[in-house]
Amino acid sequence: MNEALDLTLREQAAAIAAGDADPAELLDAALARIESRNPAVNAVVETFPERSREMLAAAPDGPLRGVPVVIKDEWPLPWRAQRFGAAELMAPTAPGESGPYRALRDAGAVIVGVGNMHELGAGSTGNVSVYGPARNPWDTDRCPGGSSSGPAAAVAARLVAGAVGADGLGSVRFPAAYCGLTGLKPTFGRAAMEGHHMAAITSLIVSGPLCADAADCRLLGSVLFGEQLAAGDAAGLRIGVVHDPVSEDVTPEVREACDDAVEALRAETGGEVREIALPDLPAATLAAILLINAESLGGVTPERLNRIHPEISPIARATLKYRMLLPTAATVQSGRVRTLMRRRLADLFEGVDVIAWPTIPAPAPPLESPLVELPSGTLTADQANVRGAALANLTGIPSISVPVGLSAERLPIALQLQAAWGRDELLLDAAEAVERANERQWVESKPPLAEAEPTEA
Amino acid sequence: MDVSPQADDFVPAGLASLGIEADETDLAVMSVVHQLFWPPTLKLLALDTSDLELERSPDLSRAP
Repeated sequence: MNEALDLTLREQAAAIAAGDADPAELLDAALARIESRNPAVNAVVETFPERSREMLAAAPDGPLRGVPVVIKDEWPLPWRAQRFGAAELMAPTAPGESGPYRALRDAGAVIVGVGNMHELGAGSTGNVSVYGPARNPWDTDRCPGGSSSGPAAAVAARLVAGAVGADGLGSVRFPAAYCGLTGLKPTFGRAAMEGHHMAAITSLIVSGPLCADAADCRLLGSVLFGEQLAAGDAAGLRIGVVHDPVSEDVTPEVREACDDAVEALRAETGGEVREIALPDLPAATLAAILLINAESLGGVTPERLNRIHPEISPIARATLKYRMLLPTAATVQSGRVRTLMRRRLADLFEGVDVIAWPTIPAPAPPLESPLVELPSGTLTADQANVRGAALANLTGIPSISVPVGLSAERLPIALQLQAAWGRDELLLDAAEAVERANERQWVESKPPLAEAEPTEA
Repeated sequence: MDVSPQADDFVPAGLASLGIEADETDLAVMSVVHQLFWPPTLKLLALDTSDLELERSPDLSRAP
């Protein structure tokens, strides 16, 4: 049954539906593989075999019946409150049925474990967590990306074939990119969100799938969306590319791989590439940060910050306190920038179908020192990464990260595609076109850890 | 832009006004964070959006 674990999500579902795979054996194999491989990556922070077996016993005949999946520590489960990768949350939490849990359960999926995440969702690297850092299966001394670090590392290490993350400022796309996966940040409001501790107030966070390829993201995304994400062909795709100081501030090998992927996508779809201008991207990035800052601090008082848990990391503790000082005028201005960028994008999407740029400006940095060397100099990975991701969260548009190469150090490189509101399906179509164009070379590349001969029973 | 003097004043004064306690580690981290955040925050505030008609309660699942 170990071989079945190496199938794609859709192949696992099909094998179970056809009677070619026993879901109970598949669950046992997943648990065994977590036991054998997880110590190297710290992707899964908790398993609950009896709960998983109960889910399997009650699993309806849905599109993921019997398929093991991992869910990020951002979502409550009926038997477990989320910890958000932290010693404590600023908001109260309790066990419960989150939207993603219900969607997975109703699809017949079996939640086999909880995925690690960057502390409080506040990082693009995954190197800080109350559980200890998750590690990148491509190089376990490297960051797996964050904040959905565990879900990505779990899929890349082939502990499971699909995982559910959350994306407030790139938190699905960064780990997908660092780990060589496909990750979809849905249009705001399309994917299940109930039960998230910020569900009532967030205007940026969405749930999203992390899988090996776009077809698996389509399947898991359909479950999270509660509707079938129909497949098309992206024929005649009009691809917008931006050449500005931020978009150009990437390593040469990222630039080359992404340029090649854009050209391959154009050729595969018979489309065209158009240069577009998107001014004020730095303002849009800061606006998104300030808005999620304001939303996440709702209900947090100075007195509450004065009795913050001693195991919260020094960086998170200080940043939380600093965030209380940011001027309200800047948050109000952020709302205006949101309007500005939404209108600009609406105009741009009259002339192009997707906007393409690198998901991450440099491959995964070391866990011990998450810095990246860019043409502009040395930046923290968080500083550099958020510049390419926040626009989608600020404006609500969907975005997808697609693997398009490996660096000289054999670390994944990824292209990000963004489309107009509600065109999530087009992004999946375009991602599949990228896969076809490179003969699925990158989505079928596996890290050494996942290539290792399994020793579990 | 040299913002260190601002951080030296702004952060402790702001924390004190809100009654938020901070130790030396907090202040050191906040000084770095301030240097990252404050210049772009000033630029954001300086962005002229006076002609913009604000989208009220935007439906983020749709185009404006």
